[in-house]
Amino acid sequence: MDPFEVRMQFIDILKRLNASQQSIQKLVGFAVKNFPGCGEDIWDCVLEEVQKVSINSRINILYFLDSLCETCLMIKSHTRSERTKEANANGLYMQFVSRDLNKVIEHVVPEGRQGMPNLISTKQILENWRNKRYLEPQRIDQVLAFLDARPKPSISEEAEPSTKSLSKNEVNKRIEQDRERHKRLREGRWVQPTSRNPASVQAGQLASFYPLDTAEELPVDIEFENEWETTSDWNDDDQEAIDEEDHLAFPSSASEDEGEADFAPSKRMRTDSQ
Amino acid sequence: MSMKHAVHSGASSAADPQGSRTPTASTSQMPIMPPHPPSHIPAPSSRFYQPYFSHAEIEFLSEKQRGKQSATQEERNRQSACTFLEAIGARIGFPRRTIATAQAIYHRFHLFYPAKNPQKDFDTTLAALYVSAKENDTLKKPRELLAAAYTIRRPEAAAKSKNPMGDIDLDTMNPQEVENDRQKLLTVERLMLETMCFNFAARMPFPYVIKIGKKMNASKKCIKFAWRIAIDSFRTLLPLIYPPHTLAVGCIYVAALLLSYDKPEGPEKDADGNWSESVIARRLSTHSGDWQREYRTKVSDCEDIAHTVLDLFIQFTQIQSTNASPSTPSSPSPNLPIREKHNLHALQLQHPFKPDQLIQIKITLRERESENHPVRKRKRVKASAERSTQYSNENIGQNEGTVRFMFFPPGAIAITEKKAS
Repeated sequence: MDPFEVRMQFIDILKRLNASQQSIQKLVGFAVKNFPGCGEDIWDCVLEEVQKVSINSRINILYFLDSLCETCLMIKSHTRSERTKEANANGLYMQFVSRDLNKVIEHVVPEGRQGMPNLISTKQILENWRNKRYLEPQRIDQVLAFLDARPKPSISEEAEPSTKSLSKNEVNKRIEQDRERHKRLREGRWVQPTSRNPASVQAGQLASFYPLDTAEELPVDIEFENEWETTSDWNDDDQEAIDEEDHLAFPSSASEDEGEADFAPSKRMRTDSQ
Repeated sequence: MSMKHAVHSGASSAADPQGSRTPTASTSQMPIMPPHPPSHIPAPSSRFYQPYFSHAEIEFLSEKQRGKQSATQEERNRQSACTFLEAIGARIGFPRRTIATAQAIYHRFHLFYPAKNPQKDFDTTLAALYVSAKENDTLKKPRELLAAAYTIRRPEAAAKSKNPMGDIDLDTMNPQEVENDRQKLLTVERLMLETMCFNFAARMPFPYVIKIGKKMNASKKCIKFAWRIAIDSFRTLLPLIYPPHTLAVGCIYVAALLLSYDKPEGPEKDADGNWSESVIARRLSTHSGDWQREYRTKVSDCEDIAHTVLDLFIQFTQIQSTNASPSTPSSPSPNLPIREKHNLHALQLQHPFKPDQLIQIKITLRERESENHPVRKRKRVKASAERSTQYSNENIGQNEGTVRFMFFPPGAIAITEKKAS
């Protein structure tokens, strides 16, 4: 098929994109199949459409991009032949996503009240991309900062012209779709990036034996890096928790313990077993 | 006994662990009770969850289960099972807490039931993973776990798979075999839950490594290394001996020790204001300062953890220096493309420590211990044969009557009741 035909067919399927997995996978499949030769054309279509369609359809497009990224990265990890490996080295559509992320997000979450329905889902998707390393954490941070830096729309803003506001029917439909998609996102949220490329993990190797100072992030450290940012600092809840665990592990009173000071004389209770 | 009922009552336990709730079939389901219970039904009994064991108890229980196996064989099986759990975990993308919990559940289970060769039977490893996945909110169905297990164990079949991830399609396998394995998994799961007394509240050391590491102003490099050591600690029985915060402090200690050993003493603080590794290692090996009280951890705990971890490292440096055969889980699959295999092989041969170095560190630790003080072990409730035999498996398959599974050992009620008041 020539690029023009590919564009027409892609737009045709894209116009019928909805929130269902089936619809998303159909579009992803077509995009991936026609990447060699027509990748740029297809990406152009995505950028054009995301500016034109309704607010609901725009979040559908972002969810499509989410699946597209996942598929591209999987393909990149699993290509066997040397030749296609080179072709897929940039992660197929990932290079375009990375290049044009700001533009896409600007349209999916336009400024003002009209963008609000899409804000939370967009942030969730971006956090997901960050944790799974679809893109570099700094890249995602840039976009998140850009979203946060926007002035919050005030309640007194004029209602948008009717072409952009949603009917009650659409609102209900959107709520249902969001419920399904959040459920799916929540279920997949814990999946670590190692699942894309399990061969990169040496199961029989001790984690401690990998080199510590590497230029690239090692798979074994990705979760650590994510936790490093999100784990809260030491607080009172932690103190209480370790008191409890310590008591469970070492219930004997400390005064028998070779004269060392008790951990917390006022808090310790003597148990029945003493 | 209704399993669903037991799990449900487990979830609502926090407020009332020692309540009279019994996780058995509720009386509303049972027919009217006869005036005298038949004499062949045993009297009601209780089983108490023992969250942590002493070295002595572990040795006692392990020996019972070891049977004719040597300790070396037992250790080899243990490592093989842990490696298998790592491999499935990586394939499915389980977070660390799920993999680590599974390893701990596996160790605990085999204090009470003998281990079969994990190369041949993977029911217990999969059951441990299944329980852990539920506990950690990363649920996967038994069939999904089986698919991952078959993919790893049968690389020839996996290579033929059309699935882009290289996963075996269960529909291509003998349905009877899959169903048998699934039933075995569910049967073992039930026994496993009993050894845990249905207590799903396991806490992990990983968050503490970061929290405590940051509080101590250790460098990120040191904390990252400590995290990795915490990962490896689940290949030992340390998580069954020490509470998670103590294990975390111990891992930070080992990280600092290994990073500073035999290195020239540099500035006490680095450019970011973090303490150097030698300062951290020194702090955690002396009684001065408030850290023992603050982190509810003693010097002897850190030393014990260090010796166990070093033993594990020594064991692994010795394995890697003798060339592993393709059938062991530690070598790359023969089906990987050549270039990837080469890269992995290069990684594999890299181990930063030589056995001699590690042994020397152990000797230095022992010398320091005997200089400063005799090795001080913390006191536990006395290990008794009666307590340990609470978990005897002699009654498998027999009607045990009403069994109350209690979440805490007797006497632990004190601290939770105090909280409630």
